[in-house]
Amino acid sequence: MATPAVLTRGLAGRQQRAGLAFALPAALLFVAILAYPIFESFRTSLFSIDLLTGDAAFVGFGNFGTLFGDRALWSTVGNTLLWTVVSLAGQLGLGLLAALLIDADWPGMRWIRQLLLIPYVVPVIASALVWQWMLDGHYGIISTNLQSWGALDAGANPLGQESTSLATVILVNVWRGFPFAMLVFWARMQGIDKAQYEAARVDGAGPWREFVHVTLPNLRSAALSLLALRGIWTLMYFELVWLLTRGGPAGSSEVLSTYIYKVVMGEFRVGYAAAIASLAGLFLGAAGLAGWIVYRLRARRDA
Amino acid sequence: MRSGRTGRSLAGLAGRIVALALIVFFAVGPILWMIVSSVRPADQLFQPDPSIVPTGVTTAWYEEVFGSGALRWFANSFVVAAATTLVSLVLGTAAGYAVTRFTFPGRRVLLACLGVSYLFPAILLLVPLYLVLSSLGLVGGLVGIVIGHLTITLPLTTWLMKSFVEAVPRDLEEAAWVDGLGYLGAFLRVTLPLLRTGLATTAMFAFILSWDEFLLASVIAQGDNVTAPVGMAGLVTSFDIRWGAIMALSTLVTIPVVVLFFVLQRYYEKGLTAGSVKG
Repeated sequence: MATPAVLTRGLAGRQQRAGLAFALPAALLFVAILAYPIFESFRTSLFSIDLLTGDAAFVGFGNFGTLFGDRALWSTVGNTLLWTVVSLAGQLGLGLLAALLIDADWPGMRWIRQLLLIPYVVPVIASALVWQWMLDGHYGIISTNLQSWGALDAGANPLGQESTSLATVILVNVWRGFPFAMLVFWARMQGIDKAQYEAARVDGAGPWREFVHVTLPNLRSAALSLLALRGIWTLMYFELVWLLTRGGPAGSSEVLSTYIYKVVMGEFRVGYAAAIASLAGLFLGAAGLAGWIVYRLRARRDA
Repeated sequence: MRSGRTGRSLAGLAGRIVALALIVFFAVGPILWMIVSSVRPADQLFQPDPSIVPTGVTTAWYEEVFGSGALRWFANSFVVAAATTLVSLVLGTAAGYAVTRFTFPGRRVLLACLGVSYLFPAILLLVPLYLVLSSLGLVGGLVGIVIGHLTITLPLTTWLMKSFVEAVPRDLEEAAWVDGLGYLGAFLRVTLPLLRTGLATTAMFAFILSWDEFLLASVIAQGDNVTAPVGMAGLVTSFDIRWGAIMALSTLVTIPVVVLFFVLQRYYEKGLTAGSVKG
């Protein structure tokens, strides 16, 4: 007969081993395809590597020095911030408006909600191609109409002009991303206690004051988590910009992700690309850590 | 007074309907235009003043697409997405189960890594992943693409399955452990059947993510082994752009995803709000 203490320890040990066994395959794969490459990325940033010849030379922090003198990179950083801020504002704003509009018991509303999710569901390649087609300067339905109204030069494509390319890509990004914000806001609205609205109505609040004093405060946490998650992904989002404009014309819609891609795939400067990626990763990590600390501090203060 | 109020609320109602109609049009219009363009004859597509109302329907673009090498791209995409889904579902479910049910050394580290890699943008992984794959000789093949896609789907499936396992009552398993079924037996016979909806939801997201993925596939895939998004992206750079065929391909690449979305709609919304799709 074992004593209870020994039994517990034996059981705990068996449980530990079982847990390890279940977790091990995924953990190993994590290390192989995520942790190791991320580590390798930092190491690579200290080298100058030519992808064609495979030559690698240790340059220390030389790549980072190049980075600070790279003017194209800094205008790209400006574009990236603009792209992120305006995209997020548009997605959250339109998403909130749509969430308010679908928050009614009208017949068929379930179907309308699903239709509104479509831009988010459609593969990004299909979205990019159909927008390119609609914006085509000679036969596209949007561009030809804009041209006949005089809003666009004859034969011009909004994606192909330096003055409008970034704004157009942002517009398509808002189109693609607003349904997600709508769904998150709408789901949160379903959880708002009806008594809060009744209390507001008793106080004589109209629809607008109900919205400002009841709905909006309840959506704050949803908006914050949307900003944090979508912020990270939008900042480094590659597909849409690349597929619509390749960052052009003349770098007018270049963002960090397309710039990194070009440095690797176009110029084969792997070490330099790794340096940009490492710095962006560090920046994101620091921003994430700061956000997390603020979040924890506030949670502690509120508790 | 009363008629004034009903008048105002009627105007408000009309405003809501118009606003809703505009937003639905904005959301769905481009997709409808994609489908319409894929069945329009060439002379209607390529006129300087395109009309919205289609007259006459053609299947010529689809015939062109089915007669081309594009089918191979779709087959590649399907194989890659299916393999990615299978691997990430098996490993992700086991890991999600482990971190919910057991305490073991490294559990917290694994959870932290999960969170970080879930947020980690794919573009930052591009260079190192490419170097690792090329040193293994996996650049250019479908296996390489699957590995690339696993970096995106594995954190997600683990994360999602963790939340689904949490919803399964623990005592059922503990009874099975006591009955001598063992940990693996209890998991396979008791827990797994209860996770069916979770598995279906997670599998759908993994499949869609892999099916849609462009960035990693565009770097890893070569020649005949390109996936559908990579192959399609290459069509627009040519001088004579065949928009009808491109719209047919776009419609075809959209169909599986939209079908999955409508069939599993209930779970889709739940998975989305759990924060499961990047980008």
